[in-house]
Amino acid sequence: MDRNQITKWLKSPAKMANKYSLHAVYFCTGCGIIEVPPSITARWDAERFGIIPVATPRQGNLFLITGYVSVKTLRAIIRTYEQMPEPKYVIGFGSCPINGGMYWDSYNTINHLDKYIPVDGWIAGCMPRPEAIFIGVTHLWTLIDKGMADGYIKYREYYGAYRRNQEMVLGKLEWPPLFPLTDDPRGDEQ
Amino acid sequence: MSKSIKEALESTFRDVQVSFREDNRMAVTAENESVLPILRFLKDAGFDHLSLISVVDWIEDNLFELCYFLTPYMQNDDEYTDRQKLHIILKTPLPRDEPRFKTVIGLFPNAEPYEREIHEFFGIDFEGHPRLTPLLLERDYEVPPFRKDFDTRKYVAELLDSVPPIETKKK
Amino acid sequence: MRELELYFGPQHLGMVGNFSITLKVEGDRILEAAANPGYLHRGFEKLMEYRTWIQNFPLVCRVNVIEPDHIEMIYAMAVEKLAQIEVPERAHFVRSIYLELARVGSHLFGLWAYANMLGFDTVAQWAMYHRDLVLDLFEELTGGRVYHIYIWPGGVRRDFPPGFTDRIVHTLHSIGGCVPDYNSTFFDNRLFYERAKGIGQLTQQQAKEWGATGQTLRATGMKYDIRKVEPYAAYDKVDWEVPTRKDGDAYSRILVIRDEMIESVHMIFKLLDAMPEGPVYTRMPNPFKWKVPKGEAYVRCESSRGELGLYLVSNGGDKPYRVHFRTPSYPHGLIVLEKLLRNASIADVGNIMISLYVVAPEIDR
Repeated sequence: MDRNQITKWLKSPAKMANKYSLHAVYFCTGCGIIEVPPSITARWDAERFGIIPVATPRQGNLFLITGYVSVKTLRAIIRTYEQMPEPKYVIGFGSCPINGGMYWDSYNTINHLDKYIPVDGWIAGCMPRPEAIFIGVTHLWTLIDKGMADGYIKYREYYGAYRRNQEMVLGKLEWPPLFPLTDDPRGDEQ
Repeated sequence: MSKSIKEALESTFRDVQVSFREDNRMAVTAENESVLPILRFLKDAGFDHLSLISVVDWIEDNLFELCYFLTPYMQNDDEYTDRQKLHIILKTPLPRDEPRFKTVIGLFPNAEPYEREIHEFFGIDFEGHPRLTPLLLERDYEVPPFRKDFDTRKYVAELLDSVPPIETKKK
Repeated sequence: MRELELYFGPQHLGMVGNFSITLKVEGDRILEAAANPGYLHRGFEKLMEYRTWIQNFPLVCRVNVIEPDHIEMIYAMAVEKLAQIEVPERAHFVRSIYLELARVGSHLFGLWAYANMLGFDTVAQWAMYHRDLVLDLFEELTGGRVYHIYIWPGGVRRDFPPGFTDRIVHTLHSIGGCVPDYNSTFFDNRLFYERAKGIGQLTQQQAKEWGATGQTLRATGMKYDIRKVEPYAAYDKVDWEVPTRKDGDAYSRILVIRDEMIESVHMIFKLLDAMPEGPVYTRMPNPFKWKVPKGEAYVRCESSRGELGLYLVSNGGDKPYRVHFRTPSYPHGLIVLEKLLRNASIADVGNIMISLYVVAPEIDR
């Protein structure tokens, strides 16, 4: 730990603790999950970076969207994301959540994940290697440091717009809104 | 071996066209009514493994072609014969508007999810099927998606690409 | 006691893969189970109708993420059968070696999942590390760790690089050297026996009725293996055995998987010895203008999970007219699992599911 780190710890211990203990929600959303077991086991060992898979969304603060998102999974992803406590970070893993990837013309996969939930970072590639996960995570650290990993704040602020987009694809959602909905879909204008 | 099956089929059922190919595949085309008797006949003849049920949408002929793929399991636990190589593809045409057929669950219990999937993706009704509920899809599609007249690119352009991105205020 | 409905998955620690089951339970006992797949449905069979024959190769391998190689193989086999392309002798051997390596890798992944489920974390770490060694071989051969796109109609993309056979032998020896460790910590372990014996038991009659293939069927005693029943590639050129067990429970299935891994390694050694020299691919026509003659083909091969089939119809155009995959997990996950879960307890759900070797993307396609 260098001097710079010590000052950071003294300045904002909560942020630093957050950054170095990313608890990933155990949810295999797509085929990218195939590279997660190698990363969390002996050879690549994600615990060096403070990443550990946890059982329930209530315990997690990092959500890896591993691979394509089908319409049916999108519902589960939104449910899981809304159950996670703040601060929470989302990383889109692989090409498919970015713009559809291979399945850009599939009737059952959504093409742009960031239209439905906020995404803080992307890891491109199909498949991204385990090293790419770690580069993505260290990049997320920088974003947290600078206060730019603000997806969860954005979700609160523009909840109306997100909810509208979700309902465009999934139909009427059966669970009540997480935050109070305002009339203007783009959120508060103040 | 396969010749005897062919002769037995042709002598037992009328209106059956049997064509045998060199690669151990036999295509049998039959009318709708004789499909269940033929399946029962083949099952009694040892073809007890229904490996797949598939549908081809011949949109130009206005037909669905329902295909059953049958092959025998081994009779003894460790004896390989030429008979196991034989695959029978039993085909029957169905009209494209209001297609319906009888279920074969009574003969082959493993037909259940295949028929459910075909109902979902092609809109073919199977009479007597215990649960024709949606299997894989979440949304309702006006045209079942595996039919040839369903254009997935148009669908994506109309539905998914029309979802607007989230507009954020500049800070 | 009151009956209630319980949703198991997709976000659940006992669930590997994006799959869910609706259980009707009374206390701890499961009365009825209904599999609820579709979380990974991408509509491959529709998308393939929109892409040319060659463009489909990068797509098909994504059907099964754990071992994409058999899906490539089966698509190549079907196209070869329709277009009547001859495959050189050496390519058959290269394909067989490549597919057996994939089988070893896939079984190690399955072993990771099963050991993790039963609480053998050390074994899980070993299995995942050893799978990575196999993936390193693939990376050297094809450039990709997970998706390889190596098999091509008319052969394979390129020959083994110099010294590659030595590295295969070296890697397999180093994995094989750990088999005694695996045995003493896992397979011969009393705890493994206690936790897996009698779980999810089915008879051979039931397995046949429910359309089971692969380990699920072989664990009930039948030596049903497409590599023997209808040999493809170079599997009839060497001598090998089909491992079986008698009891048909989770314990037998996992032991069959272990024996298959060992048999695969032996087979690779034999194939390497018998491999002839020569070209590994035949020259293909221009892929942009390539039209496959009208016809239909049904081909099948033995993936690491069971019988994998492909029904391919061409109407003489530059794209397939209809594609339908018969994946082994489909009957295992949708019929056998539902039937075996009846009267089981909730704690056994993951155990039964992983021992059946169900992989969700194969079901959903």
